[in-house]
Amino acid sequence: MSEPVLFILLGLAGQPQHGYSILKDVERMSDGRVVLSTGTLYGALRRLLDDDWIERFEEEETSRGRQAYRLTPAGRCNLQAEIDRMKRLTRLATLRVAAKER
Amino acid sequence: MTMLTVYKQLLRLYPAAYREQFGEEMLSVFLDLSADNAKKKPFTRTVFAFREIAGLVRGAVGERLRIVPGRESEFSISTRSFTMRNGFRFPKTTAVLMTIILAGVVVAIKRGEEIAASLPHSNPQIGPIQPVHSTLLPPIVLLSVTFYAAGFIGWAILFALRRSGVHRLETSGDSK
Repeated sequence: MSEPVLFILLGLAGQPQHGYSILKDVERMSDGRVVLSTGTLYGALRRLLDDDWIERFEEEETSRGRQAYRLTPAGRCNLQAEIDRMKRLTRLATLRVAAKER
Repeated sequence: MTMLTVYKQLLRLYPAAYREQFGEEMLSVFLDLSADNAKKKPFTRTVFAFREIAGLVRGAVGERLRIVPGRESEFSISTRSFTMRNGFRFPKTTAVLMTIILAGVVVAIKRGEEIAASLPHSNPQIGPIQPVHSTLLPPIVLLSVTFYAAGFIGWAILFALRRSGVHRLETSGDSK
């Protein structure tokens, strides 16, 4: 899973969002390090939609009727698995680095 | 030409189905981002413009390649992580094209020999005209066989990699 995709999924984990707010959220979460273009964002969203990790729906609260995205149960499950994998990796890395410093 | 015009033109590079699904939405998000950037410094605006153009071109190429029949793998360029492809297939079209080209060259040489043989040799001092191309045939065949062999060896190496470490890494995690 690439870093931008991880950030997109993390952005959708809290609440459903539309394209513009996803872009801003990714930028905020990464402290400005990851800035996606619309082409990159929608390429990633298309793949996530194809894999049923996210779903698309029309926002009812806004006057513009924008399309928004939210995580599916499968997407949430896969995100959790990725987070668990990263935790294990971080724990292992910490142990290895600490052992080397002793 | 404004950036909006450029953006709309580049959107046309995407497949029609993709444009139908995401085109308006992408344009809407781009307009929102442009409004954000309107008050920023020229350098920031230039970076934004280049990022958008590069993203669109890369995305369009990826989507076009994705819908090529027979392709299993996703086209993916990532500058922030190592992205593995989910499969590899020896391009059959390459082998077919090479065979067609080789057949064309052989037919052309044979035809040249026939034409040369049919010409009247009026000047006995020069002698009969010999087809020079006939000397090219063995090297061409040898070169083609070498290319075939190199292609097959390359494919075998990649196949072996796929069956071993890379393939296991790919299938073990939840990597996308």
